[in-house]
Amino acid sequence: MKGRLMRLVRPRWRALLRLAAWSALEAGETFLLGYALARALDRGFLAGHTDVGLGWLALAALGVLAGSFGTGRVHLAVAALVEPVRDDLVRRVVRRALRAPDGAAVSRLTHQVEIARDTLAGLVMVSRTFVVTAIGALIGLFSLAPVLLPVVALPLAAGLALFVATLRPLARRQEVFLAADEALAAELGLAVGGLRDITAAGAQDRVGGDVRERIDAEFHASRALARWGVLRTLAAGIGGRLTVVLLLAAAPWLLDHGVTPGAFVGALAYLTQSLIPALQSLMQGLGTSGARLFVVLRRLTADGGVPGEVAADPSGAPGPDEAVRLRDVTFAYGPGAAPVVDHLDLTVPHGGHLAVVGPSGIGKSTLAELMAGVRVPDRGEVLRGCARVLVPQQAYVFTDTVRTNLTYLCPDDPPGDEDLLDCCTAVGARELVDRLGGLDAALSPSELSAGERQLIALARAYAAPAPLVLLDEATCHLDPAAEARAERAFAKRPGTALVVVAHRTGSAGRARQVLVLGGDGVERGTHEELLQQSAFYRELTGLHPSLALGDADGVHAVAGAGLTGDRRHVVPHGPVGQMEAVRDVRDRGALGGE
Amino acid sequence: MTRPRADLLSARGVRAPEGPLAQRPFLRETVRYGAAPAALVLLLTTALAGAGLALPWALGRTLDLLLGDDRAAAGPWLALCAALTGATILLGALDGLVTAVANARTTAWIRDRVLRHVLATGPRAALPEGDLVARLVGNAAQAGPVPATLAATLAAVITPVGGLVALALTDGWSALALLAGMPVLAVLLKVFVRASGDAGAAYLRAQGEIAGRLTEAVEGARTIAAANAAERDAARILAPLPELSRQGYRMWRVTGRSTAQAAALLPLLQLTVLAVAGLRLADGALSVGGMLAAWRYAVLATGTGALVGQLNALVRGRAATDRLAEALAPPAMTYGTRQLPDGSGALEFRSVSTGPLRQVDLYVPGGAVAAVVGRSGSGKTALAAVAGRLADPDRGTVLVDGVPLPELSRDALRSEVGHAFARPALLGATVGGTIAFGVGEPGPDEVRAAARAACADEFVRRLPLGYDTPCAEAPMSGGEAQRLGLARAFAHCGRLLILDDATSSLDSATELKVSRALLDELTPGTRLIVAHRVTTAARADLVVWLDGGGVRALAPHAELWRLPEYRAVFAQEAA
Repeated sequence: MKGRLMRLVRPRWRALLRLAAWSALEAGETFLLGYALARALDRGFLAGHTDVGLGWLALAALGVLAGSFGTGRVHLAVAALVEPVRDDLVRRVVRRALRAPDGAAVSRLTHQVEIARDTLAGLVMVSRTFVVTAIGALIGLFSLAPVLLPVVALPLAAGLALFVATLRPLARRQEVFLAADEALAAELGLAVGGLRDITAAGAQDRVGGDVRERIDAEFHASRALARWGVLRTLAAGIGGRLTVVLLLAAAPWLLDHGVTPGAFVGALAYLTQSLIPALQSLMQGLGTSGARLFVVLRRLTADGGVPGEVAADPSGAPGPDEAVRLRDVTFAYGPGAAPVVDHLDLTVPHGGHLAVVGPSGIGKSTLAELMAGVRVPDRGEVLRGCARVLVPQQAYVFTDTVRTNLTYLCPDDPPGDEDLLDCCTAVGARELVDRLGGLDAALSPSELSAGERQLIALARAYAAPAPLVLLDEATCHLDPAAEARAERAFAKRPGTALVVVAHRTGSAGRARQVLVLGGDGVERGTHEELLQQSAFYRELTGLHPSLALGDADGVHAVAGAGLTGDRRHVVPHGPVGQMEAVRDVRDRGALGGE
Repeated sequence: MTRPRADLLSARGVRAPEGPLAQRPFLRETVRYGAAPAALVLLLTTALAGAGLALPWALGRTLDLLLGDDRAAAGPWLALCAALTGATILLGALDGLVTAVANARTTAWIRDRVLRHVLATGPRAALPEGDLVARLVGNAAQAGPVPATLAATLAAVITPVGGLVALALTDGWSALALLAGMPVLAVLLKVFVRASGDAGAAYLRAQGEIAGRLTEAVEGARTIAAANAAERDAARILAPLPELSRQGYRMWRVTGRSTAQAAALLPLLQLTVLAVAGLRLADGALSVGGMLAAWRYAVLATGTGALVGQLNALVRGRAATDRLAEALAPPAMTYGTRQLPDGSGALEFRSVSTGPLRQVDLYVPGGAVAAVVGRSGSGKTALAAVAGRLADPDRGTVLVDGVPLPELSRDALRSEVGHAFARPALLGATVGGTIAFGVGEPGPDEVRAAARAACADEFVRRLPLGYDTPCAEAPMSGGEAQRLGLARAFAHCGRLLILDDATSSLDSATELKVSRALLDELTPGTRLIVAHRVTTAARADLVVWLDGGGVRALAPHAELWRLPEYRAVFAQEAA
């Protein structure tokens, strides 16, 4: 744990040196305060030379000013130590979010990284202040009278040792407390988020009891923490306040061994004015924020989730005419889970056009991801004969120029403006691009509708040099006519193999081959063949009046009236899909479900 | 050294608590709950402050006697110093323990108290979800310390005031020097507070830019993964990082400058007192011990950091109790003791007003399937909610088999009246537990049967641990969550089942299967189905058509279909 912190701070020797150099000014301030007071008494006020006394105090005042100048510089040195750590953490958070996306990434960035930054800075500050104060005071004591040193340093060391001994158990209690606190917050979130459902289920008492358990756990953790806090206070007392009494008890002996009254008062000043406050700050700071920092750092530097990286292409290639071939592919989301894809053989030839249909949640997206190589099958192999592009339902559009968005998949070898605009025209995005202000216009995703984002993503895929195009409900937010235009554009592009995970019946009708998932396993054929042979396909597409719904119900009247009746949606996407955008992203990251 | 300085920072925005306790019943309740430990804290902190004030005096006397001719006379004074120091350490430790435990105890009590009320109030709790959680987590933690802080604040006043008085008693001239310096201190503090004003705004802007780009990328995660472009996107997202860093350094520079100013002020003022005391020493008006005491009292008198901190905590705590009191404001739902008589779930509304609905009268015969249709905002969900008593109507009565819902016991109501929603909250530890969640937990076989009926069995079995998969590890799409919500309703199916848009994310084939199960496979009874699809209305025995704040018609779909306005309802939904 500490190693992780050290790794973050260690490489910054120059910042540490600067910190030490400017801290020396503060150490000088501490030194002067006791030393000048001692001299002001001995040589000034007690000797009848008030001007000498005032002179020494003025010197101490100068020391205060120099010290405060040092304090300002110390902040800059701490910045040089802490800001790069923050930069590192931000980079980690971003990289991890891209590798394993989840909804908490932004909170990690804006909240946890800042906690880490603040607590780290606080820790550096209090421990540095303690060291600086101790050095200044101990040198001062030695300068005033060497015999003073052991009387103050030994109890101080004992107090510190006791404190260090409590540090580890205290940090553990602190961690337990933070974990209990988070568990409680999560439980409260569930309870409050599910109020309607809890009421409907009549489960108020049960949920109240569950939360009560978490509340009690958090209370017990706080109490354990408070008990260990007693030891911390005692350690501070022994190392600090009790030393004052020791010093007084040793006074007769000290005064007999060359310690002047002024030096004795100086020693008391070092203790009460410098060492005790610094010790208290140190123990307060290290005891609480230390554990907090470790917990947050561990969370931030943990390797999160399953990496979503693209597997290397398998060594074998499919046949010369084939764009992609699945050989006996099986895939499940866990060892105990029923397979989503089970012993599937499938070939899409160059220039082919396949539609995949099936009820929601059956694994159509998973199949597309297997074909793209984003997922690796548990058994069997996926062979691709060419580059591929996968366009998911949720279009990725980012804040930048239109051109950067369109050339996202071919940044090193972007097509010319003419070609790029032709691509837009082909998929039906030209009007949108013109309206935005051309290729160099700035693009702001929040100002585009879901359908417009899909148009950008489609134009981008069209411009990419990938003969195998996988559209995973990539047109679901377009109207049927726009969808047809985009699909036809890809189908007509020379040498292109197109796989469409169908959102509407029309996609299946346009394809040369249709793969039906669900029902009793897998069915395949042309649209017409399936309509004739598969009751499941008919039910799915609603294209045959085989359902127990007569004309009297007015269903056909709706379809006839030209309304987009729900029965033509193979997979509906309603407000649910749009409103739970973030959740959907997480779904994909973890399970790849729809 | 950092801490006392940081305390100076918080001097800004401190106002004395105002408004009598009487106008804040929850604040009063909280203070009363924590009164006993708070009294102990008051005792401890007062004793602590007393010991702290006595110590410089004892220290000074001891020092004078030690420096004098009769050192032996210092013995009893030394013992007094030891006793006062020991007391300070022990009282401090005890105070820390009592305060921390008391705060945790009060916080726990507040959370339990407020959450139970929120649970009893139900979905009408009126505050947005995230807000309510923030209040239960954050505000409760701020409100919990109020009783003990109130007690400690009294003691925190004693130290600076007592320090000033003791300084005046020790040496009047030194006290005057301190008082003369106070206004200077106040002016400089004000300047300091202004300087550290909005240093953070530009930093937050840069941070927001990175967060915005990251959010876009997280939404486009599948595209990025498929394009294997994570590194490139990372570079783009991190482009504002140098600016963030620059602003970060700037913030440190600003705080460094103002902290440095503040760091000089107090010691300089204390040195001034020390100089005056030194002059008095040279005059013979003050002893060495007296000078030491005067200096320590000057430090105590200027040490208002603790007091400022306590006042800040009190102001925060009071605001927190106010926010918690808002969560306690809506009245809790109460239940009766009656059971339902035999019947098949006849549903009756008598002049019910709720949401957009005014004076609705409605009768759905037992065993009927009734579809509720209407434009957005016509009150479909409000009708469904009061039909199953998720909330009580503003006026009027809802009856099931002749019994007004509020007269039913909670178990009788919830075991006979079930709900499924468009976006169900998945409660319970596992996916199976989610389905079983509710009155009279059904066993594994019933859970599976319900899941099969809701077309959920197939995808649940594909989860890593099947029915035992923890909910947190099984993120669901909208359609999957809906099917689990349906399965939960099916597993607890009683005589009245209310589906509020509960099949909106299912494909037509699945929806048809679920509809068949609803009629054939479950306990027979009344079904109230809020729906947008024309097919659902067509399959129902009756359609409740809501329009203009009331029931426009209660008739079979086939009859209504002749009306263009009725057809228009679905046209709007489809568009």
